[in-house]
Amino acid sequence: MILKEYKYELGKIERGYNNRSLYINLSDNTIKEKEVTQFMKDKFIGGKGFGLWYLWNAVTPETKWNDPENEIVIAHGPIAGITQYPGSGKSLVVTLSPLTHMPMDSNVGGYFGPYLKFSGFDALELQGKAEKDVIIFIDGNKGIVQIMESDIEEKDSHLIAEILTERFAKDEEDKKNVSVVSTGSAADHTLVGLLNFSFYDIRRKAVRLKQAGRGGIGTVFRDKKIKALVVRFEGTKGNLNNAADQGKINRTGIKLHREICLLDDKQNRMRKIGTANIIEIMDQYDLLPTHNYKFGSHKDTYKISSDKFQARVTQGLPDGCWYGCSLSCAKAADDFIPQTGPYKGQKVIVDGPEYENAAGLGSNIGVFDRDGVLELNFYCDTYGVDTISFGTLTAFIMECYENGILDKEKTGGLELYFGNKEAALELLHQMARGEGFGKIAGLGIRRMKEIFIKEYGADPDFVNDIGMEQKGLEFSEYLCKESLAQQGGYGLTNKGPQHDEAWLIFMDMVNNQIPTFEDKAEALHYFPMFRTWFGLMGLCKLPWNDIVPENNKYTDEPAKIPEHVQNYVDLYNGITGKNIDKHELIRQSERVYNFQRIFNIRMGYGKRIHDKIPYRAMGPVTEEEYLSRQERYDKQLKELLGLDPENMTTQEKMAALRKYREEQYEKLTDAVYARRGWTKDGVPTIEKLKELGMDIPELIEVVKKHL
Amino acid sequence: MKVLKKNPEKCIACHACEETCSKLYFKEENREKACLRIKETDSYPEITTCTQCGVCIDICPVVALSRDKRGIVRVEKKKCVGCFMCVGFCPEQAMFMHDDYIEPFKCVSCGQCVKVCPTGAIYMSEE
Amino acid sequence: MIMVNGREFPWEEGMTVKRLLELKQYTYPRITVKINGEIIREEEYDTRTINDGDNVQCLHLMAGG
Repeated sequence: MILKEYKYELGKIERGYNNRSLYINLSDNTIKEKEVTQFMKDKFIGGKGFGLWYLWNAVTPETKWNDPENEIVIAHGPIAGITQYPGSGKSLVVTLSPLTHMPMDSNVGGYFGPYLKFSGFDALELQGKAEKDVIIFIDGNKGIVQIMESDIEEKDSHLIAEILTERFAKDEEDKKNVSVVSTGSAADHTLVGLLNFSFYDIRRKAVRLKQAGRGGIGTVFRDKKIKALVVRFEGTKGNLNNAADQGKINRTGIKLHREICLLDDKQNRMRKIGTANIIEIMDQYDLLPTHNYKFGSHKDTYKISSDKFQARVTQGLPDGCWYGCSLSCAKAADDFIPQTGPYKGQKVIVDGPEYENAAGLGSNIGVFDRDGVLELNFYCDTYGVDTISFGTLTAFIMECYENGILDKEKTGGLELYFGNKEAALELLHQMARGEGFGKIAGLGIRRMKEIFIKEYGADPDFVNDIGMEQKGLEFSEYLCKESLAQQGGYGLTNKGPQHDEAWLIFMDMVNNQIPTFEDKAEALHYFPMFRTWFGLMGLCKLPWNDIVPENNKYTDEPAKIPEHVQNYVDLYNGITGKNIDKHELIRQSERVYNFQRIFNIRMGYGKRIHDKIPYRAMGPVTEEEYLSRQERYDKQLKELLGLDPENMTTQEKMAALRKYREEQYEKLTDAVYARRGWTKDGVPTIEKLKELGMDIPELIEVVKKHL
Repeated sequence: MKVLKKNPEKCIACHACEETCSKLYFKEENREKACLRIKETDSYPEITTCTQCGVCIDICPVVALSRDKRGIVRVEKKKCVGCFMCVGFCPEQAMFMHDDYIEPFKCVSCGQCVKVCPTGAIYMSEE
Repeated sequence: MIMVNGREFPWEEGMTVKRLLELKQYTYPRITVKINGEIIREEEYDTRTINDGDNVQCLHLMAGG
C-alpha cells in the first residue's frame, strides 16, 4: 500500500552537483526537495559535510538518537558516481549515534549513493518515525518517490535485499539498476545495528552487500521503522556527472587502472584477497589484537592467515562495489554453508572477509578458525551487526568471563571464554532474537561496563581499563600499545576510535619517522584532514595507499603518496572546473573537521576529557600482559625512565610504565590540539575558524562558551 | 579467427593504417582515434595491435565485452559504463580512449588497414 | 653498532640487507631500505653489505586500514 507519492522533475547533474536534495519525514509522510546552496557547497563540499550540516539543523543539544527529529542523512559527494577512478561510488551516512550520542559518520560502498545522485539528489534526509514498517522507493527515471507500507516478512538483510531487488527490477538484466539499503533483525534489539547497501553482482547473479558499519546507524534506521530504501536508476554511463573536463578524469582513472594492473600482485594483492592481506603482517609485527587486545600475536594466526581466506574466496571476478573499481577488494566466499542459526545448512554468500572482520571475529576473541570467522561475518552482516563492535565487545565479555566478573549464570549458560566459537555465535543469534545475554551485549561496552560495575560488583578500575571503547564506540582492530601516534589516531578523533582518520603505526613504531611530539602532531593533523576529504567527495580511501606508484619511494614524502594526492586534485578540478591545489584540499577538510568537532561540543562532548582512551590501548593492564612482553617493557623502563627493573616488582614496573605512558598521551594531546588550532581543552579557537572561513555565527556561539 | 598481425621491420611509419582506421570507425582522419597505433622509435616503429586475447572480457564489470561469431572481441557500447578498466588492463595496450567518447574502442579485425599498408608491415592471419 | 630507523642495532660481520631484515623480522612486502640515505634496490638485498656504523632506514610504507 502506497502511503505517499511525490513526483519530481528529472534534472541534470552539473559539474558533480544536482543542487538539490531530498527530504522525507516519516512522522507525517512529508516528501520535499531542498535547494543545495552555494554556501553548502563552499563550506561543506558534499558527502559527510552535507550530512553533518543537515543534521546540525535538524537537532538540538537535547536531541537523543531515538527522538523523531534525529535524522539519517545519506550523501555522496561531487566526485561520486564517476566510473573511471577506483573507489568512486561511496555513500556517507550521518546520524546521531545511539552509542556515542554524537554525530556518527560511516563510509559505505554499493550502488545506492551513485543511483541517488543520478536520480537527481545530492543527499537524502530521513527524519521522523513511521508508525508501521515502511519501504521508501525512488524511481530515478520516472521521477517518483514513494513511501509504502512494508509487506516483507523476512527480517535479515541478505533476504530483504534479494526480495526487493527482484521486486523493483523489471527483469534479470535490470537488477543491476536497483540498490537496496536495509538492516537485519539485530538492529531491532541492539545499539550496534548497521546498514547494508546492496549492489547486484551480474556474474554471480546475486545481491551483494556492503556495510555502513560503525556507530549503530542501523539501530536508528529501525527506530524510524524503515524496512528498506530502494533506488532504481537505468542508464548509468561514465559521464553523468557532466564534468568540466571528462578527459582529465578518464586519463587519471586509466593511469591508476594501469598501475593496479602492473603492481597489485607485487604489493598488497587487493584484487586477490582484499584487505585481509594484512592479517599475518599484523601478527608478525605484534599488532594483531588478540584476546581483547592483550597481545599482538598468537601461535595459531596461521589458521586465519590471508592464504586460508584466499583459498575460500572466489577468484578472478571484477569485485568492485562500484563500477570502475579495479582494486576490487569486495571479495566474497560463495556457497558457504552456516553450521548454526536460522540459515543453517543453506548456501549463502559471505561478503568479505575484510581484515577488520578476521581480526575482530578471529584473533581478538580467540577464534582461530577460518570458517568460524566466515560464519560470524555472515551473520553479523545479515543480522545488521557491526562486525567491529561485535568483535571488540565480545572480546571484552570474554575477558570479563575469564576473570569471574561473568559466569554461566549471568550469561544464561553461555561459556564465553576466549576461543569459544559456538558461544560467540549463540551470543550473536541472541542479539538477533533480542534474547538473553545477547540483549545486554548489544548495548555495547560502555553500557556493559556500567552494568557489570553496578550489578555484578566488578572492579571499576579493571573494567574501565580493559573495556576497549571511547566516546561509547568500540575500538577497531589494531593494537596500538607501542605506537603513541596511533593512540592519538584512535583517541583524538571526532567519532570515536576508528582508524579511518589516521593509521600511523608503521610510520611511528617501526619506521620511527615521527619521533617528536611535533612530528606526531603534524601527522595527526595532516592525515585525519586528508582522509576526511574522501568522505566529502564520496570516495574510498583504499586506492590512495593500498596501491602505490612504482617510483613512490623516490618522492619527498612517500607516506602521503604524492602522485595519488595529485590525482585527487585533478579529479576534483576535472569535475567542478575549479582550480584547487593540495593545500586547499586539506583546508576543505579542515572546515568540516572543525565543524564536526564543534557539533560534538554542542552535543555536550568533544572536549579533552572525551579524548582519553582506556589504558589497554596504551599499555599492559595485567601482569600476564606485562610478563608476556617483559623484555620490551623492562628495556623501556631502563632506557626511557632510567630505572633499574632488576630491583622492582612487576607491579612496581607496571605502575612506572603506566605513569610514563599516560603522561606521554597527555603531551601528545597538547601538541595535537595546538597543531589543529584548538585550545588545551580541545575547542577550536575563533581565530582558527576565521582563518578557515568558518566563523559562522552559530558556530562561534557554541565555541564561545567553552573558550 | 582472423587476427591482425604485425611485422615492425617492414613498417615505414607512413601512418596510412591509422588514418584509414579512424576514418572508417569515426569518419574522421585522426590518428588518435585509430584502433591500432604506430609509434616511431629509434629502431623499428612500434606497432600496437589487438591480439583478440580476451583479457578485457573478464575485467569488464558490466559484461560489455564479448566475442562475436568470428571470435573477435567487441565492445557493446550500450552496456558500457565507460570505466576504462579494460584500457588499463590490456596486455597489449591496444584498447583505446579518446576524450570525445565515453566508451573505449578497439580493433575489430576488419582488415581495412592491411589493404592500405604499402609494405606488408601489418597483415591478417588465421589463428 | 649500526642505526636502524634511528635506533641502535648490533652489527655483525658481512651483514647483508637481507640478513638485517631477517634479524629485525621485517617481513612486510613493501619496505624501502636506505643505507646512509641511498635507496637500495630489492635485487641487491642479497649482496649489498652493511658496514659498521651505517645509518640504515627500513621504511614500511603502510598507512593502514
